[in-house]
Amino acid sequence: MASFTPYTYIQCPCHDSTSQSRTADDAPPPTTTLPELSENDDDHAFDPRAHRSTFSLYPLEHLLYCDVCHQIRCPRCVTEELVTIYCPNCLFEVGTSSLKTEGNRLTSDYLHLNKSLTAANRTLTLDAHVAVSNARYVSAPWPSKLSKPPPDPTLLSADSATPIPPGPWVLTCSYCHWNSSEIGVKFDKPQGIFGQLQKLRYGEDQSKHVVSGDTSPTKTDSVPETNKARFAALKSFYGSQTVGANPGAGLSGLGDYGLNSPGALTRIMSIYSGNINGLKPKTKSSVMREADSPNEGFQLSDLDEGAAISQLRRDGWDGTVTGDQAKTQVEEGAQFADQLWPIPYLLRAKRSKRCPVCRHIISKPESKVSNTRWRIRLIANNSIPSISIKPLNPPPGSGLLKPLQPAHFLLTFKNPLFDDVKVTLATPATTPGRFASRVTVLCPEFQIDANPDNDMYLDDVLKDGEKERQRRRGDEGIHQAEAGKIWERGRNWVSIIVEVIPSSLRIEPPPAILVKDGDPEPDLSPLREDEDVLEIPMFVRLEWESEASHDQVGAATSREKDAKEKRELAYWCAIGIGRISQE
Amino acid sequence: MSRKQVKGEYIETDTGNKVARKAVLVGTQHIMLGGKTVIQAEVMIRGDLARTAQPSSTPSAAPSSNTAVAIGRYCFLSKGCCLRPPGRIYKGFVHSITQSLSPVNPLAPHAATITVVQSFTYLPLRLGDHVFVGEGTVVQAATVGSHVHIGQNVVVGEFAIIKDYVRVLDGTVVPPNMVIPSFSVVAGQPARVVGEVPEGGHEAFELRELYKTIGNNPQPLPV
Ligand SMILES: [Zn+2]
Ligand SMILES: [Zn+2]
Ligand SMILES: [Zn+2]
Ligand SMILES: [Zn+2]
Repeated sequence: MASFTPYTYIQCPCHDSTSQSRTADDAPPPTTTLPELSENDDDHAFDPRAHRSTFSLYPLEHLLYCDVCHQIRCPRCVTEELVTIYCPNCLFEVGTSSLKTEGNRLTSDYLHLNKSLTAANRTLTLDAHVAVSNARYVSAPWPSKLSKPPPDPTLLSADSATPIPPGPWVLTCSYCHWNSSEIGVKFDKPQGIFGQLQKLRYGEDQSKHVVSGDTSPTKTDSVPETNKARFAALKSFYGSQTVGANPGAGLSGLGDYGLNSPGALTRIMSIYSGNINGLKPKTKSSVMREADSPNEGFQLSDLDEGAAISQLRRDGWDGTVTGDQAKTQVEEGAQFADQLWPIPYLLRAKRSKRCPVCRHIISKPESKVSNTRWRIRLIANNSIPSISIKPLNPPPGSGLLKPLQPAHFLLTFKNPLFDDVKVTLATPATTPGRFASRVTVLCPEFQIDANPDNDMYLDDVLKDGEKERQRRRGDEGIHQAEAGKIWERGRNWVSIIVEVIPSSLRIEPPPAILVKDGDPEPDLSPLREDEDVLEIPMFVRLEWESEASHDQVGAATSREKDAKEKRELAYWCAIGIGRISQE
Repeated sequence: MSRKQVKGEYIETDTGNKVARKAVLVGTQHIMLGGKTVIQAEVMIRGDLARTAQPSSTPSAAPSSNTAVAIGRYCFLSKGCCLRPPGRIYKGFVHSITQSLSPVNPLAPHAATITVVQSFTYLPLRLGDHVFVGEGTVVQAATVGSHVHIGQNVVVGEFAIIKDYVRVLDGTVVPPNMVIPSFSVVAGQPARVVGEVPEGGHEAFELRELYKTIGNNPQPLPV
C-alpha cells in the first residue's frame, strides 16, 4: 500500500444550505432519492464517505473566512471576479477588451520574441531553424516585454541590437526536441505567430475561418469551414432572425452579458412565447426559420465514417489522440494524432473572491501580474484552529493499523485567534461505512489559550519560559492517557488523545443469530478503493469571546466600549488517521 | 570560522548559514549565500561554472559581480541535491559593426561585414528567499523566486524561470526555458501546471521554523 499521510478536511457550511434549499424548492421528495442521506441530514450525523460529502470537504488552507458573517467559505461557494488576465508563459497582461475580441488564448504575440505555443500537448518555444544558422540561441529566454534585467547587458545586447536572422523559424519542444517542421509548420519571421499559423492552416482567405470580432457578421457569400467560424455564422444568422421577428429582442444582445442578466431572460422568454406557443398575435414576417444553407453556418453531418475507420485500422491506437490532447484541442476537433495543431496558451487570471451571503470581498490579489501580495486575504487558518494528527507511539514496521487492537493518536489543536477558545468535540462511537471502527475521544472538552502577538523576538523569549513551564508541568505527570484530561498544553495549543479500535477488514456475512428478518442483504463485495482508511467524522464546536465587530458598534453603544461579544462556530470535519492492515 | 564545536555535523557561519561538512561546494568564491541557509550533506553547488565569456567591451563590469550561484535567505537544500548554473552557446556580433548596420537592408551587410563571436558560457543561477530544494533534485534554472518548494527527485531544466509561491511536486521534470507563474502547482514529465496554491497555503512556504530544526543544536519543530 502507498504511504499514508494523516489529514483533516473541513466541511464548508454551504453543504448544509444546498441540501436545505433542495428539499424546499426542488420536486424530488427526499425519501425517494437518497434515503440514507436525508436521514443523516435530519439528525446531523455526517458521513464523510457519502458521495455528496466529497464536494464539501476541504483542507484548511483552501478555506476562506468571512469576518462579517463569521462563517467558513470554500472555493465552491465564493463568487469569483477577474482582476487580471495574463499569459502564463510570458506573464504578459492581456486587457479585457482584447479578450472580448480575441478569446481566451493569447493571440497578440507581437511583443514576444520568444513566443510559446502548445501543440500536441507539448510546450513549444519559437526558435530560429537550426540548419539555417547557429542563431538557435539568439532568442532570449526572457521575453522582451517582461523587462527582466538580463544578467549581463553586454552578453544579451546582441539580441536586441542584431537584426533578426533570416528564417525559417520553427516551434521546438525543449522537453522532447520535437519541432514543428515535422508537421510542416515553418515561419518566415518570429513575430505574428498566431496569424502565420492561421495562414498556414487556412490559406490567404481567412475570412472563412477566423472570427475576427464578436459583432461583425460573416459575409453572406463566404462559406465558413471551421467550427468556430460556423458557430459565428449561426449566431449572426439567428441574431438577425430574432431581430426580424421581434425588434429589440435579438439574441445578439445576449453575447455581451451572458444569459445571467434578467434582460436576457425576458428576451429569451419573449422569443419563445412569441413564436412557439403563438399566444401573442403576430405578423407573417415574424416567422423564424432555421439555418439551412452553408453560409448561414448549416452543415450536414457526415455520417460516413469509413475514412476514420480505415485510418484507425492503419494507425492503430498510437495514431489516435490521447484524452488530454482531445480536451486541450477541442476547437481543432482532432481525432487522430496527425490532426493535432499548435494552439496558443490558455490564458490565466488573478481572481478576487466574494462572500456569497454578504457580498463582501474576502480575497483580493494585487492586480499586477508580478506582484504576489494580496490586498485582502481572509483565510480560515487565521480564524479556526488547525488540527494535526500523529500516533502516540509510532507503530513499528508497516505503519498500518492492526485490526481490533486499540491504538492511540494525538490530535493537536492550535488556536490562531487572539482570544481563548473553548472547544467541544463529538464523534460517533463507530465510524460510518461497512467497517465500523470504534472511536473514543478521551477529552472532548477543553480550552485553548489565546495566540500571543506574533512578535518574533517576543516569541523566542516566551518560548524559553514556556519550556520552563512545561518542564514543571511534566513533573506533575500530566502525560497520562486518562479520560477527561488533556495530554499536553502549550501557549496556544492543546493535544488530546483519541483511541481507535480499527475494525477487521474481513468480509464475511454477520453471524446468523444477529440477523433479523427484514434486514437488508449484507454487502459482501470486495474491498473498495480507500475503504481501508480509518476516517473519523468529528464535529467541532468553538466558543469564544471577542471584541465586538465594527459593524455592530452602533448597536452596542449603550454598553461599555470594550464589550465582549460571544461567538460560536461549529463544523464537521473528516480526520484521516491511517490505513487498516488487511490480515 | 568558529571552531567552538569541532566535531559538529554542520559548520555554522556568522550570517547563520548551516553548511554540512559533507556538502560539496565547488568554486566557493562564486557562490553567494544570503544567510540562514541550510545546506545538507552531499549537496553539490557548482560555483566553478561561472560565466566564462567576458567580452572586452565591458569596462563597467566589476569583477565581484561574477556570481555563479546566488542563494537568498532561509533556503533549505536537502541531502544530495545539486545546483548547477545553466549554460549555452552564445552567438553575438561585434558591437560597433552591429550598430552601423543599415536598417533598410539588414541582409546585405549581414554576410559581408559582421564578425561573428561564438562561445559557450554559463549564466548565473539565482534562488530567492525561503526556497526549499528536495532530496536528489537538480536545479539548473535561471531564476527561482521566493517561497518556492521544489520536491524530491525533480529536474529543473536550464534557464527555467520559477516565480514566487510555486510548488513543484516530487519527480517533476521542468523542461528547459519553461516559465512557471506565481501560485502554480506543477507536476509531471514534462511539467504542467496542475493546480493553484490556495490563499491559505502561503504560510506553508515559510522556512524559518525548519531552519531551527537543523544544525549542531537542533530544536524540535514547534507544534
Ligand atoms: Zn462552501
Ligand atoms: Zn505569452
Ligand atoms: Zn516535447
Ligand atoms: Zn459574508
